[in-house]
Amino acid sequence: MDQYLPLVVMFVLAVGFVVLSLLTSKLLAPDRPTQAKQAPYECGIVPTREPARRFPVRFYLVAMIFIVFDIEIIFLFPWAVVHRELGAFGLWAIVAFIVPFFLSFLWEIAEGGLDWGPLARSRSLGVLTGPERATAPSVRVVGLEGRLAARPEGRATVAVGASSGGDAGGVGH
Amino acid sequence: MTGDPLFADGFDWVVLAILVAKAVIGFTIVVVGVIFMIWFERKVVADMQNRIGPNRAGRWGLGQTLADGIKLIFKEDLKPDRADKPVFRLAPYLSVVPAFLTFTIVPIGGVFTGGNDGGVELFGRRTWMQVADPPVGVLFLLAMSSIAVYGIMLAGWSSGSKYPLLGSVRATAQMVSYEAALGLSVVAVVLLSGSLSTHDIVAAQAGSIFDWNVIATAAVPFVVFCVAATAELNRPPFDLVEAEQELVGGFHTEYSSIRFGMFYLAEFMNTITMSAIIVTLFLGGPAGPVLFGPPLIWGTLWFTLKLLVFLFIFVWLRATLPRYRYDQLMDLGWKRLIPLSLGWLLVIGAISIGRDAGWNRPLTLVGAFSLGVISWAALIGAMRVAKLRRGGDEFGELSTATERVG
Repeated sequence: MDQYLPLVVMFVLAVGFVVLSLLTSKLLAPDRPTQAKQAPYECGIVPTREPARRFPVRFYLVAMIFIVFDIEIIFLFPWAVVHRELGAFGLWAIVAFIVPFFLSFLWEIAEGGLDWGPLARSRSLGVLTGPERATAPSVRVVGLEGRLAARPEGRATVAVGASSGGDAGGVGH
Repeated sequence: MTGDPLFADGFDWVVLAILVAKAVIGFTIVVVGVIFMIWFERKVVADMQNRIGPNRAGRWGLGQTLADGIKLIFKEDLKPDRADKPVFRLAPYLSVVPAFLTFTIVPIGGVFTGGNDGGVELFGRRTWMQVADPPVGVLFLLAMSSIAVYGIMLAGWSSGSKYPLLGSVRATAQMVSYEAALGLSVVAVVLLSGSLSTHDIVAAQAGSIFDWNVIATAAVPFVVFCVAATAELNRPPFDLVEAEQELVGGFHTEYSSIRFGMFYLAEFMNTITMSAIIVTLFLGGPAGPVLFGPPLIWGTLWFTLKLLVFLFIFVWLRATLPRYRYDQLMDLGWKRLIPLSLGWLLVIGAISIGRDAGWNRPLTLVGAFSLGVISWAALIGAMRVAKLRRGGDEFGELSTATERVG
């Protein structure tokens, strides 16, 4: 356990550094809050919309996929340290571990689970310039799965990422 | 070798004094380093953009960072009323503290050649020239970079504002994605060194330049690590976290005063630490020829020189490359770097085991690489399938029903 003591000392020093900096600032800096100062940043205009509470579910998926990879890496580390003692058996074991993993990774890619870009191929500007543009509600589309069927006929949802700003324009589906 | 010999023969006041002194020295190096790193970056970027850069505070503007810091301390610390106050206060700590802690495992000098084990004598005690040498070594690096994600994520989430939230969501996905590639390229280094301790990794590279992991692993894990490290640091060309044109300041938009300064410091500390880690893992740390005089000085000198090269490269990248688009960033991380480093790791493992077991070397190589090519082809195939499905029947109606202009 002794080997970790310097880390504790460094931790104390680092926390002390932050505390001291913040404390100095608290003592020396003015504190005159106004409503305008405390409002969320909006490039100078009055904020009109609540900050987004929803963002693309893809971000959660990435975290979930990462957990699988992380577990794999955790298993690889002990093998890497003792791989010479384990010899060929260890190598075949790790190959047997990685092959199914890699196949499921391929399946996931083929399913589009790791696709991020805009649907470039299906882009057409017709809907943006046509009469629908004005009547369509500007509901932001967070995820497309399961939404296409549920929508009432004739009410096309147009999310103009560039002008409505707000959400993760271009990051989503 | 198991850890720092400082603790080998019991624990007393001298040991404690050395330990604290080392921690203070490491702390000072990081703080002074970050002051000069910020100046260095501004000056070099200015030169590359045909500007002068900071030149008022002190000679060559060297005091600029200090002046900025003092200015920030005197600025009003705004807390947005929508903010989640406790988390808002906690986030800078979660950013800065890991930045300091990561530097502890970096060996900044020592003689490893000619039967030496890299130790130095201090008041009759032997110790390594690094603040700490925990047995988990490299895992500690990965753990700290994971905790740094929390700092950025919570900072953005607790601000109660849209730009920081988007910045932090992007940051989390980006850092988490590249951490997998980072971890896999580190495994290749661990495979060759047979140890997780940074001291042992440096000791294993002490011989000639061919023992350096960048050459011993045939450069691929090194390249993957450098790219993943740049993404982990949120530095250009992967700085989508604080893409000014889209997200104002990214996750720290709502932060002001020295609280903002803390994130700024953490960012540059991480740059220094990550460069030091690259040097340690792949370029032999303090390894290098001793020309004259005491070898101890040369170790630290070589380490510093290698470090400066990487710091310059990070600045150079920032001045040169345009920012990646988000889907390009994710594609590069998941579909290129991760499979590449995973496959390369298996090839290195097969070669290493084949050498012990006396396998036919060319045959092993040909077999491993042909398997690699097949896997890569399968990967490209999977990506083609995904692309066809996106543009094909499944989403075919999108072009008329739903449109998303990214």
